[in-house]
Amino acid sequence: MNPVFVRAAALASALGPDLAAAVQRVSGTPATPARVPAAGASWPYFSIPVAADGWMQRAETIARAVGDDLRSRAALSFRDWAALPCIVGSSSHSVGAWDGGDLEALPLPLDFSRSLAAWFGARGPVMVVNTACTSGLSALDIAADLVAAGAFGDVLVLGAEFANRVTLAGFAGLELLSRTAARPCDRDRDGLVLGEALGAVLVSAAPGPWRVAALASEIDAASVTGPPPGGEAAEATMRGAMGIAGWRGDAVDLVKLQAGGGPMADLAEARALRRVFTAAPQVVSLKGAIGHTLGASGPAELALLLGCLSRGRVPGTWGFETPDEEIGIAPAGGDAREVRRVLFNLSGFGGNVMSLALERTG
Amino acid sequence: MHLLAPTTLSIAPAELPGRVRARFAAELRRAGSFAQLGMLGAESCLDAAGGEGDLGAVWSSPLGALRAIRAALDDDLRHDAPVMPFTFIAMQPHLAAALLAQRYPVSRSAHLHLAADAWPWLLRVAQGWLATCDRVLVGCVEESGDDAIAHRSDWCLVQNAAAAGSVRLEPARDASAASSATTADWIGRIRDWRADVRAPLELAGGGEAWRFSAPA
Repeated sequence: MNPVFVRAAALASALGPDLAAAVQRVSGTPATPARVPAAGASWPYFSIPVAADGWMQRAETIARAVGDDLRSRAALSFRDWAALPCIVGSSSHSVGAWDGGDLEALPLPLDFSRSLAAWFGARGPVMVVNTACTSGLSALDIAADLVAAGAFGDVLVLGAEFANRVTLAGFAGLELLSRTAARPCDRDRDGLVLGEALGAVLVSAAPGPWRVAALASEIDAASVTGPPPGGEAAEATMRGAMGIAGWRGDAVDLVKLQAGGGPMADLAEARALRRVFTAAPQVVSLKGAIGHTLGASGPAELALLLGCLSRGRVPGTWGFETPDEEIGIAPAGGDAREVRRVLFNLSGFGGNVMSLALERTG
Repeated sequence: MHLLAPTTLSIAPAELPGRVRARFAAELRRAGSFAQLGMLGAESCLDAAGGEGDLGAVWSSPLGALRAIRAALDDDLRHDAPVMPFTFIAMQPHLAAALLAQRYPVSRSAHLHLAADAWPWLLRVAQGWLATCDRVLVGCVEESGDDAIAHRSDWCLVQNAAAAGSVRLEPARDASAASSATTADWIGRIRDWRADVRAPLELAGGGEAWRFSAPA
């Protein structure tokens, strides 16, 4: 099997329309997201600061900018770039483009993803993965398998979640949203804040700054909307990823948490973490800065994290102010020069729980 | 890789609730029709395949949970009401995976949207997953949006080891010699061929071909 690397990554999020803006912004003062209406109430929501005439035009504007950014970072030949296969992870696809008319006029998920790939300039085969909130990381998982098997040398992975009222109303219906702010691991956390993002990751057989050391997944069938309080599946995926990677507990320098401010979900992950590690490594959550970007969250949070690490900083966790004794872990930013091994946790609806192990190559 | 139990279900929309009740009693009462279809097909395949071991489940559909999407759009955008959890747009495929995981040792699942002839991607994904799963369920589900057209739920099981009645599958050397298949019909064609095996079957799609042959 070929080794697999993250060759380059790019991002549009509430922190800015490109990765450089996001990396700079996340080291500054936390911002308060705007509020948007849905299901008879208003909710905080992390929007990408890009305006355009119409939903589809806005998606295209965002995608073209992220594509240009990724292309400049990837240093692929024009020919290799144009031939890229593209795997898109999303839970809502283009549903935000629906204007109340005929559903048949709404682009199908595959057609919308083909448009995304075309806006990136990638003309290879396109596949869409939907595993709810883990869609983008599932796309990366499949891409890594294809690269490892030698089916492709490079695969473009996109995590795409653009603003739409259906998703917001769905989460409101499930009573999973905070009415105020995302406070990951904080004593006063009271729910998720959603956001939109387009994360792009180029997965490659060619050496890059980070090697994909392992990816482990589990399905926790106890509940379709959240983990049981013990966090057994998160524990299993972290242990699984570390086992495949051949890491001992003390080899992990940083854990990027799934934690988004959900009272039980954050607690379950923290309990899992405390069982896996005798001495908790440094931890960070990015959902206080860009929101829970659902199907985009894998590539989006990965791009943001690796962008920050490449600049030598572990970002602070926006929204975390008051430690929770029951959680027992305190996210903290800091110097990243010694961060070489990262566990990247993600989970979502349907009980999908994933843990990605990344190792710095340089 | 070896393939077992190619199973095809064709169910008239009006008959789906009765089929679900007969198979699952009240267990799937609140699941949407897309999840129900997936579960019916996957369990039929597992019944036919027998055996045991950790499972993955990768399945595709052209439209996804069509009725749930319509219901969600109708609830929210027309009436500004909270979308019901079981019509929520992202829920259906994952609900099916979670329900399957409550009954079988499923450790990974993904729902894909593919080009009409790109069914070999499913086998590529399954091949990768067999590094960590003993067996992978591979499905193609199409929920009908028209009461006069039947739903489809076609599944097979792949694993690394040969088993009684299994079919060996491998990438074919020459895609030009294979006959074209689609994501909607490839499992049915393997089922039909398997009933009367005379020579290996080569099916092509998405620019590649796979060869199916009876084990020696």
